[in-house]
Amino acid sequence: MFHGCRQLYTIGLRFQSKTHSRCIGTLTKAEAKKKRNQLYDEELKRQRAAVGRIEKIDVKYHGPTEEVILAMNKNLSTPHDCAKHISEGLTKVAALALVNEKPWDMHRPLTGPCDLTFTTLKAPNISTNRAFWRTCSLILGAVAENAFKDDVEVHLHSFPAPSIKSGSFISNVYLNLPDWQPTVPELQAMSALFVKLILRELPVERLVVQEDLAIEMFQENRFKIKQIPDIAKHNENRITLYRIGDHIDISKGPMVGNTSLVGRTTVAAVHKIQTDEGENLYRFQGVAIPSGILMNSFAYGLLEERAKKLNNVSWMPQRIEEDMEEKLTIAAQN
Amino acid sequence: MNQANVTHLVSKLKFNIRPTPRRLKNKDGPPGRVLKIQKTLTALFEYERIELFYNRADEVRGYAERLISEAIRRGPEDHEMMDLANFWIIRKEFVHKLFKVYVPRYQDYSIAYTKLHKAPRLYPGIYYKRAVLELRGNPYPSIEQRNAHSNVLLHNLLLSEARKEYRMEKYKEIAESMNEREVTSQ
Amino acid sequence: MHGALKMSAAVGRVLSQQMRQSLKVLKSLAGKKNRCFSASVPIPKEGSVSNNEQKSVNRGKSADPLECRFMYPEFLPDPKPEYRNSLREKLERADMMARRSKIDIPEFYVGSILAVTVSDPHAPGKSNRFVGICIKRSGCGLRANFILRNVVDNQGVEVLYELYDPTIQKIDCLRLEKRLDNELLYLRDAPEEYSTFSFDMEPEIIPEGTPVPVNDLKVTLKPQPWLEKWERKDLKGVRDIVVNQKREMKAKAALKPWEKYDLMKIYRETIPEEEQKEIFAEVYSDLHNLEITRQKMKRQRTFIRPKKSG
Repeated sequence: MFHGCRQLYTIGLRFQSKTHSRCIGTLTKAEAKKKRNQLYDEELKRQRAAVGRIEKIDVKYHGPTEEVILAMNKNLSTPHDCAKHISEGLTKVAALALVNEKPWDMHRPLTGPCDLTFTTLKAPNISTNRAFWRTCSLILGAVAENAFKDDVEVHLHSFPAPSIKSGSFISNVYLNLPDWQPTVPELQAMSALFVKLILRELPVERLVVQEDLAIEMFQENRFKIKQIPDIAKHNENRITLYRIGDHIDISKGPMVGNTSLVGRTTVAAVHKIQTDEGENLYRFQGVAIPSGILMNSFAYGLLEERAKKLNNVSWMPQRIEEDMEEKLTIAAQN
Repeated sequence: MNQANVTHLVSKLKFNIRPTPRRLKNKDGPPGRVLKIQKTLTALFEYERIELFYNRADEVRGYAERLISEAIRRGPEDHEMMDLANFWIIRKEFVHKLFKVYVPRYQDYSIAYTKLHKAPRLYPGIYYKRAVLELRGNPYPSIEQRNAHSNVLLHNLLLSEARKEYRMEKYKEIAESMNEREVTSQ
Repeated sequence: MHGALKMSAAVGRVLSQQMRQSLKVLKSLAGKKNRCFSASVPIPKEGSVSNNEQKSVNRGKSADPLECRFMYPEFLPDPKPEYRNSLREKLERADMMARRSKIDIPEFYVGSILAVTVSDPHAPGKSNRFVGICIKRSGCGLRANFILRNVVDNQGVEVLYELYDPTIQKIDCLRLEKRLDNELLYLRDAPEEYSTFSFDMEPEIIPEGTPVPVNDLKVTLKPQPWLEKWERKDLKGVRDIVVNQKREMKAKAALKPWEKYDLMKIYRETIPEEEQKEIFAEVYSDLHNLEITRQKMKRQRTFIRPKKSG
């Protein structure tokens, strides 16, 4: 693993001379991250303080065998806190809460009296699986950001809506490496970083902030600065942020409650893609299955192989449909 | 090294049998073992699903299967078959049930006629393993619980999509090869 | 002489050919005494024998491959699961067929009288011929064997031959018949006349298509002591076994009347029908061809060219 990391770093060094800095800000990577976290913490503190007088709400938990009414704090208590009152086991396995039948993050404060149930990844519904896939994308972004040395400019671009059918979760990242083809040890090193992050069992925190604060946080990242006004326009000038450890990213959510819910995982491939603006983006692709699901290594190998192919989420399904039609017409002709 | 016995011709049983019989320990010795099997076999033919200790269930399973397969082979007219059925089935009405219900039911089966499930052990209680022995095609609800979520589990979704994609590729290949053939034939 | 030598008096003595020839006349006289029927009366009196075990097989035309199991029981593998190995069994069958194409191994059963010629470096003429009644067949595959018993020089002699032994030169079936039991080991405790056969016995010819005759001869045993507890064996070919009261009671206590109903015991001793079909489908056509050639040869042998008269 360390060997692989070293290789990654050397790649960074090799391209050092060629790099033409287009988006170097005034801060280094670590400083930017630190500042971002500081702003996040301050905003969190402010929002907590803004709650004021604590009101009690009745949360009705519908378990498989029991029904419990919990008296929780309005705008402070989260479904995760409710799960803690019920059992430790539930706290560990619960992936996504359903508040009044709507998906709700485990670490998002409850806003009023509600009915509460939990879904796990062993008894999921569609939104749980999608939340899992989205969380994997978020973690992959964190991995991509941490994997490279300081010399390599890394800016997270975006990750599209999760599509489990495509076979891989993705994260689009800008790197100032003109033509980078990752070797197998490099991919393995990134997988190892991924696993390291999972093993830290970090909660996936959620915070809603105003547009201007978000822009301030992502000042170093010119892609995000462009995206934020667009997102805010459709969302009442507010931006939803997610934080794992010290990695913060923008996402609509919801996400699963903890990184420990991710089990076996692989960073499968990195493809170079072209955007409309002609930017050189790299698409990081990976595949993961929830923890607690044991899978035959051959079957998992099939998934890995599939995840290596370039994932073009937007036009992939259409092509299959066209194929189907084509095949049908051929069959009709014969 | 022995020669196989050629005087009897038997149908193959559709489940794995133990190479050696169990003694089914009891104070009467071998006749007691036979009595135990007779009782359990009769109960099985009566209730079609019984719960008992695993050893006895596994032992009786072979006898039940053999009796049904012999009944299918020979039919009720055969005297030796009738003898056999009368010997193993203690109560007369279940001899009738064997020929009138079970033989028609299992005639076209290509799998075993019985099913043995491992059952949970009582705790605290006797340590012996427990089992549920049932005749297939019985009127009771199934004992096996399928995972209701199995088709929405993430890895199953991924695998089914991978399978679909593989099929698409194959179809494509077939279509291409067909097109090529058409071109060459023209 | 090849194989294990067994003698009723437990004395391993090999008789030279000359000695045997000198005894020929004497033995043939003794042998004819207890013969139930001769070649001129081929159809047996089956009479009271309605046992399932004594299924008569139509000779020469075994249309159903499954019927081969009586004629060629050694083609079925050992039913013990720990000895089963499908590849070894297949290879053994191939070897057996190869051997059968070299020498003619005739159809015979326990109770048939056989003459076996084996290579023997120490015998004059380098070969040795032994005639006797087959009292037991056992083993399967290439290890199939049978025991021949005869009384030579007032001395019971038993020889165990392996059926596929390469030193065997020739096996002749002098008289093809079955007896009431599957093993005739009780002949060891029967008077000598029951197991005495002449070495220059002529082969008896049974017309084609007739079932194998069953000899319902019942022997009386010699007084005790016996080699085995014959009263417990449910022997059909032995007349009035008389033992003392104590032995009788013990025999009664040792009875296992449920054993004939023990379906799993039966199953564990047999090869299931499906597997038998598979096995005999593999060798049936070859065995059938061998059978046909053997019958042709026999016809040629029995055909006597009419002499020109006058």
